Formats: sequence, structure tokens, C-alpha cells
Amino acid sequence: MREVTVEIGGVRTAIVTRHPDVADVVTDRYAGFLSRGPADWRIETGLRPEGLVDQEDVTVRTGGQAGRLTIERHDFVATLDVPARTGTLALGAVDHIALDTFLRVVYSLALLPAGALLVHAASLGRGERAWMFAGPSGSGKTTLTRLSPDATLLSDEISIVRLGAGGTACCYGSPFWGELGEAGRNAAVPLRAIHFLRHADRHATTALTPRRALASLLPNVLFFAAEPALVRRVLDVAADLVARVPCFALGFRPEPSVWEAIDHA
Amino acid sequence: MPDGYPEQNPRAAWRVYEGEAVIVSPEDSMLHTLNPVGTFVWEAADGRTGLEAIIGRVCEAFDVDRATAARDATAFVEQLCQRGLLTILEAPRPAA
Repeated sequence: MREVTVEIGGVRTAIVTRHPDVADVVTDRYAGFLSRGPADWRIETGLRPEGLVDQEDVTVRTGGQAGRLTIERHDFVATLDVPARTGTLALGAVDHIALDTFLRVVYSLALLPAGALLVHAASLGRGERAWMFAGPSGSGKTTLTRLSPDATLLSDEISIVRLGAGGTACCYGSPFWGELGEAGRNAAVPLRAIHFLRHADRHATTALTPRRALASLLPNVLFFAAEPALVRRVLDVAADLVARVPCFALGFRPEPSVWEAIDHA
Repeated sequence: MPDGYPEQNPRAAWRVYEGEAVIVSPEDSMLHTLNPVGTFVWEAADGRTGLEAIIGRVCEAFDVDRATAARDATAFVEQLCQRGLLTILEAPRPAA
């Protein structure tokens, strides 16, 4: 039996398996995010006897008991016991795509008790601060990342933001990449601002009220479970976040000078 | 005249900012934002206050005539019922 532990957003998950190829995929895919510390979550991982099945979209079903979920896609089926922080994963294909999809669901739940969210956003560090740039596909996340060669990449697609004690919020490096195909740096950087992106003819930032910021943020939060208590927790964390961190609408054209607008917001 | 006792779906998650509500649907996690009048009706929908009484309060709070308030509030409540955010009780829910 092999055990590989990944640490994402400060939460450690042990992937336990008797299949060396599964352990190798985890080790390779999450190379910058491996940990030797004690695991918060434990996932028993094996192979799905029927292999790939005919089901493209990921589905999350709640079981009879609170916090029990079944997650399924064409390339895996999994169960999670959120209160116990345990789960099972049966892979139909031993590759990083199935693992990555599964771990995105796991971390959307695992980070919540710690006051953290997965957000459909790019995040970049400059100096001692981080900026998060949220928006749907095509809004400019990867473009803005490419316009920032001097910045530290935390994520080009799925960012992790976590509330800390004392009113701070930190952006964590994320292994969940997008078009760039590159993991973020495994670091925690204080979050200076959140910008909601759209392409425009000129750079322009507009400060958002907490209500508009919350309404802009929530559609970008990755969340898969419909349990009321979990949905309430997502809303609470998101509301705390927009109360603590300045939020802006950012229209930009694809030029590096966008950082002047960001710095002056 | 409108009747019944509107009641919020207890599974919905919501917050009010500066008089305007942000609500997340329990079943599909859809986001709904309400204007101040809609938020007023939403907050009053406790299952114990009749729609008629809620309309009276809307008239007082927003200086609107009763016919307009009744028409708009009834349409709004029906809309939220269709979205699964409200239900209409035939009798007031007993106080807990």
C-alpha cells in the first residue's frame, strides 16, 4: 500500500492506494504540492472494474445522511463522507485528468470549514501582495496572466482564497491549471484586491459595493453540493471575503499597462 | 384580493446588503438578487404574515398606491414561488 499526501490551500489529503501507477500519477501531477505532514482527509483509491463509462458531465448526488456524497463522471466514481473527512475513489482511467476533476470537487468541500473557497479566477503575486482576477471562460484570465511576466503565478484558472484570523485574506497557489497548463507556485500571499474581468477598449476599474461584489463572486465559486448547510457556508465565506477585500470591475485591453490601472485602483 | 401566507424556503441561503437581498437557491445554487421592494417582501415572508398585510406594509414603506402594490407584490411572489424560493401557505404557520 502506498500513501501520497497533497497539500492544497493548507489542507492535506492522503491518496492511499495499492496501485503503484496511481501513486505515480499523483506524485507526478502534484509535484509542487506534496507534503509529509499528517493528512486532514484520507481517500482510498482503486480502479473502477468497468473502466470508462458513458457519462460526460460530473454529477454529485447527496446520500441519505448529511455530508455523504457520490461523485461520478465517465472516468471515475467516488464517495465522500464530509464529516469524517474520508472518501473512496475508483478510477476508470489512471490519468491526471480524472484525479484533477475529483480533487477539485473534494477541495471545494474540504476548504470550506477552513474559510476558504475555490474560485474560477487567475491569481498573481507581485511583491508581498496577491491579486485575484475572476471571470468566466473568455473573460481574460489567461490573457492577463500572460501580460504579467514579472508576477508570481498562483493560478491561471482555479484560485484558492482563504480567510485568516485578524481580518486578513490570503491567496494560495493552486495546482488546478487552465489554458496555461502550468501549476501555480505553492505559496500563501496576502490578497490585496479582487477584480472581475471583462475585455474593453480601455483600462478602467470601478469599485464594487459588497452586494455587487458578492453577486459577482458567487457565480465564480466552484461548488458542487446542494446541501443547505454547505451552501450557507459558501455564502458566509464569500460575504466575509468581499467585506474584507476591496473588489473592482476591471475592463481592460490586452496590454501590460493594465497593471497601472490595477495599482491605482 | 391576494391571499395566503408566503414563506421563505428554509433551505435558501441569503444576505441583505443596503436593503437589497442576495439569495442562493437551495436546489441548483442559482443566484438571485432582489431590489429593495422585493427584499422587503422577501424578509416579510415568514409564513405567519398574510400577503394582504405584506402589501399594506409595502404601501406604507414605499409610498405606493394599494392597487399597484398588490399587482406587483402578487406577481413577484408568484415568480419566487416558481423559482422555489417561496411557498404559499393556506393558513399561518403557528409560532415556534
